[in-house]
Amino acid sequence: MADFEIKDLRASVEGRQILKGVSLAISMGEVHAVMGPNGSGKSTLSHTLMGHPGYTVDGGSVLFKGQNVLELEPDERARLGMFLAFQYPVVVPGISMANFLRTALNSKRGYDGKDKSKQVTPKEFRSMMKSELEVLHMDDSFLPRYINDGFSGGEKKRAEILQMAMLKPEIAILDETDSGLDIDSIKFVAEAVNRMRGPELGILIITHYTRVLEFIKPDYVHVLVDGKFVLSGGPEVAERLENTGYAEWGHAEEEPKEVA
Amino acid sequence: MALTAETLDQLQGEPGWLRERRQNALAAYETLQLPSKTDEEWRRTDVSRFNAAEYSKLEHLDGLKLERPSGLPAGVILKPLREAAKDHPDLVEPRLFSLVHADRDRFAALHAAFFTGGTFLYVPDGVEFDQPVLGQHFSHAGGNSVLPHTLIVAGRGARFNYLDEYIAEDDTEAGYRSGSTEIFVGEGSQVGYVAVQKWGRNVWHFADQRAELQKDSNLRLFNVTLGGKFSKTRVEASLAGEGSNAELKAIYFASGEQFFDFHTLQDHRVGNTRSDLLFKGALQDVARTVYAGLIKIEKHAARSDAYQANRNLVLSDKAKATSIPMLEIDNNDVRCTHGATVGPVDPEHLFYLRSRGIPETTAKRMLIQGFFGDVLDRIPFEHARKLVEAELEARIG
Ligand SMILES: Nc1ncnc2c1ncn2[C@@H]1O[C@H](COP(=O)(O)OP(=O)(O)OP(=O)(O)O)[C@@H](O)[C@H]1O
Ligand SMILES: [Mg+2]
Repeated sequence: MADFEIKDLRASVEGRQILKGVSLAISMGEVHAVMGPNGSGKSTLSHTLMGHPGYTVDGGSVLFKGQNVLELEPDERARLGMFLAFQYPVVVPGISMANFLRTALNSKRGYDGKDKSKQVTPKEFRSMMKSELEVLHMDDSFLPRYINDGFSGGEKKRAEILQMAMLKPEIAILDETDSGLDIDSIKFVAEAVNRMRGPELGILIITHYTRVLEFIKPDYVHVLVDGKFVLSGGPEVAERLENTGYAEWGHAEEEPKEVA
Repeated sequence: MALTAETLDQLQGEPGWLRERRQNALAAYETLQLPSKTDEEWRRTDVSRFNAAEYSKLEHLDGLKLERPSGLPAGVILKPLREAAKDHPDLVEPRLFSLVHADRDRFAALHAAFFTGGTFLYVPDGVEFDQPVLGQHFSHAGGNSVLPHTLIVAGRGARFNYLDEYIAEDDTEAGYRSGSTEIFVGEGSQVGYVAVQKWGRNVWHFADQRAELQKDSNLRLFNVTLGGKFSKTRVEASLAGEGSNAELKAIYFASGEQFFDFHTLQDHRVGNTRSDLLFKGALQDVARTVYAGLIKIEKHAARSDAYQANRNLVLSDKAKATSIPMLEIDNNDVRCTHGATVGPVDPEHLFYLRSRGIPETTAKRMLIQGFFGDVLDRIPFEHARKLVEAELEARIG
């Protein structure tokens, strides 16, 4: 059995069924890419996996570490080892990025304000941060700023990957992290992700572009159309989409839109 | 027993003019009607169950604790108000209740008739000091009235900070409380004033905080309301001198069955004046709050600039915040901005924090703290900021 198993997942938004039976098995060390036209349900998949309250699960299961994560709260899923890099990272005024990151790290370690030995020390925090910042070509001037507040589109995406690097998930879902990034930023992000790749991490990367897949080479590529996988295969699937688009599944040829 | 002329006998050793003033206020109290439900200011504010007669014992005569900054410059007067009324009638008599009028309504009259203690601070022309003056007003027991009054006079070019802290020794006490303040902000002076109301959760509280600003003066007033089952506070600035600038900020946190009512006034009486008001509150359980604020630009107040915002974070389905901004503008050459928001914690914010492993209660606490963050930054001096942060922390849990 795979380490992370999505079985026949069905989900709806505001009474409309979007995911119509999605199954996918990810084992540690693997990179799975999900591609699909706008509105096909990719973000619905990522949000449903993470437990966003706006999405209703209508059926199916997601097994990870012996639990059906669909029954867990979002923060429990995160502490179990899941991570979502948001397609549209949220601006949260009033909370500094540093406070946010430190609290997230402490929560992950089970520090609840009591057992100080579990608490991340300022020194540890700084040293963890330092090397990741370098790889992502970020400086620490964003730390005192409010969460994602005033960040450019590209900065927000890089900050998502920084959080991933700090929190060290075992299952990471990257929802269009490459959208809105210039070519250099894509390379920095890819480098940061590739550094984390290994037998301790399974990745689900949602994208519209094959370009990012040249840097983060997927083991499998799945095509999501209208809430269902219509094709799964190796990296060659991405190349095929590059040439033919989604027309063969009755979806009009469309230029991938830049949305981030 | 009721609050009557006999009650005044509890207040011994006051000068004749003050005694007379109290008697006039009592007479006003006896003739004034209880506000009716058709009165706009009281439409949402139910005082029908307030019975002053239950609290005819007056407490806290001069029982305040004043912390004098060390090395207070010569000429500064800092003492209990009743003592100052005796020692410095020339300074106190013309000003006391000249901003907060005793006959404004029944509650103002009651306060003026029976005020018990409070502070008088006089800072002469040109005198500046950094360390804040701290006035702590305690209530030791329930069932009585504790009605302090603060009178602050800033001379020309004076600069200082003052903190009033209203403290209940027993958080469950029932009683009648007030805590009113008059601030005379002299020409070119800079005054920071913070009032932190932490009376018990079962008291009736009425307060009038009113400042008058002379030419080129600067007031930073910060109100913190946490106590009372019923709390009505009026915060008013009268911009009487050109170039004056009033910053009026407040934080409130209402929980349980608390009801808070705020009325604010930014009265631009002359030109080139600025006012900047921000009231931010959080509500939980079945608490209710009402905010009504008026920006008034008088006829000759050209080139004035007024800002007013009231933001409410509603943390439970059963809590309710009402916000009523009002404008009255008699001059066109001005800038006025106002806005109000009432809403819950943003579910997208909450999800984002939780998606990083932060438990729901921690995430909510961070969001509430974050909500107050920008206004906390505006507390005019460090001592008060620390105090308010700690008080909020304790309530947010
Ligand atoms: N909160 C929402 N309210 C209403 N409809 C929604 C909501 N979220 C998603 N939908 C709808 O669900 C469908 C799938 O949306 P989803 O965001 O999953 O698409 P996507 O594949 O991620 O698209 P894109 O490539 O544009 O990011 C769309 O039709 C969208 O309008
Ligand atoms: Mg999407």
